[in-house]
Amino acid sequence: MPEFPTPETFSFSPSFQELAIDRTIVERDLGYRKGPPPEIVRQLIDEILPEVPLRLAIQCGFRILPPDLFSLTESGIECGDVHISTGPIIASQLKKSTTAALFVSTAGPLLEQWSHQLMAEADMMKGYLVDAIGSEVADRASEWLEKRIAERVTPRGWTITNRYCPGYCDWPVTDQQKLFSFFPPDFCGISLTPSSLMIPIKSLSGIIGLGPNVKRGAFQCSICELKDCFRRVDESELAAEQR
Amino acid sequence: MNEILESLQRCVERGKVNIKSPYPPDMKGQDGTDELARKALEAGIAPQDILSKALIVGMQKVGVRFRNKEIFVPDVLMAAKAMAAAMEHLKPFFKSDELKHKGTIVIGTVLGDLHDIGKKLVSMVIEGSGWEVVDLGTDVSPDKFLKAVDEHPGCVVGLSALLTTTMVNMEATVQHIKSKHPAVKVIIGGAPVTEEFAAKIGADYYSPDPQGAVEFLNTRCTPN
Ligand code: B1M
Repeated sequence: MPEFPTPETFSFSPSFQELAIDRTIVERDLGYRKGPPPEIVRQLIDEILPEVPLRLAIQCGFRILPPDLFSLTESGIECGDVHISTGPIIASQLKKSTTAALFVSTAGPLLEQWSHQLMAEADMMKGYLVDAIGSEVADRASEWLEKRIAERVTPRGWTITNRYCPGYCDWPVTDQQKLFSFFPPDFCGISLTPSSLMIPIKSLSGIIGLGPNVKRGAFQCSICELKDCFRRVDESELAAEQR
Repeated sequence: MNEILESLQRCVERGKVNIKSPYPPDMKGQDGTDELARKALEAGIAPQDILSKALIVGMQKVGVRFRNKEIFVPDVLMAAKAMAAAMEHLKPFFKSDELKHKGTIVIGTVLGDLHDIGKKLVSMVIEGSGWEVVDLGTDVSPDKFLKAVDEHPGCVVGLSALLTTTMVNMEATVQHIKSKHPAVKVIIGGAPVTEEFAAKIGADYYSPDPQGAVEFLNTRCTPN
């Protein structure tokens, strides 16, 4: 693990309530944007949501890279002798960053286990809905963490970019090995397999640029090549939700 | 077409399992696939007609609507459940060889990858099109695929992966299978997979969705 003068990591365990996930959000995640899902799906989501907090182990955390060791390149970032090749698309979003925060978030293993158990009992529908909620939890925990990162840097007059993940645009998923090398082992209960799969599955990793002159820039979905992804969120939708 | 078969097809499309099922609300109190399959058999309709003229047609419509993004995963799951309820009545005819599957597909998520749902969904739609599915699960090694191909002569193989890092294990799997069984056809799919990648690793077909896999199976794979 690279040695830095400020090797501080911060970790949190937000509650499910803090992530503000409701049925409408889950319905959108399932693809129902133009019309409602079948009533039975709504009923099942309503049945599942109250049980979710009992089966969560949300953890998320970040580390701010020391600015004196941080630099931007055409195709990524450098910190000490570690080069992370985010690819030019994400590198351009990190433009003007003085440094960056690396982050992870997870819903923990329990929701996944519940989903597998339901499917093994032949309740595919409920299992799938639990799985979809788990994805949203991991996503929202990152969003929640982004706010904590912003709070940490605003007193210095800094702003933050959007968050970007390895595996998007030209950033190889394998770069997660480098990203995780900045965290202590098993940080937030997440481990990485040799094929760069995070365990628990409902986990996310990524980067956020920080500095006095950074712009929020494009949201990850709007720079992603997967144009017809059923979970694609456009920025107007996001803005409406945040109002 | 026979009225029972027509209703049966509609029930698959709409995910109506049985008379007790409150879903879909506009079909409340009506027979579902469970009752209709039984009634069709009692009326002397040939099991093959029940399968190919009602169930498969209904499921095919579901597959196409899913591909066109008119419906989503939960709708497909409901249709698959309705299909399965009817299939229960047809099981004895498969056992007695009166009904035959179109062929067998051995399917699994490749080594290093634990993603299950996409592959399960593909399996359900393929099963609903009249093929026998042997699901090997997730994190399946090339050896395990090969063993299953040995055990199911004439089968087709389906590989799934959700990340670029695990997608590379498809290549080793295709090579391993084809080195012993060059004629076995391999279909691949999953979010990061592309047609170019399929061509590069020597797979026979790439499908972005379950229905594409069904169409390839039905048109390009000789039943065993
Ligand atoms: C045999 O023939 C066939 C034929 C068709 C076949 C087939 C076989 N197998 C599948 N198909 C096809 O038919 C099925 C039914 O339609 C489909 O199967 P799927 O399994 O794809 O579909 C499921 C039913 C539903 N699909 C899903 O649930 C996946 C949806 C998307 C949006 C997605 C989600 C939800 C998530 N993710 Co992530 N995620 C994405 C996905 C983008 C997308 N639109 O697919 C993908 C897969 N993720 C990606 C990435 C990069 C990541 N994700 C991550 C995390 C997450 C969440 C936790 C937020 C969440 C959960 C993921 C999960 N696996 O449970 C990370 C990895 C997590 C880990 N454990 O390691 C992370 C690495 C990001 C990060 N650095 O944190 C991308 C992979 C690209 C790559 N470079 O490998 C990705 C394609 C998104 C993108 N826009 O690029 C088809 O693919």
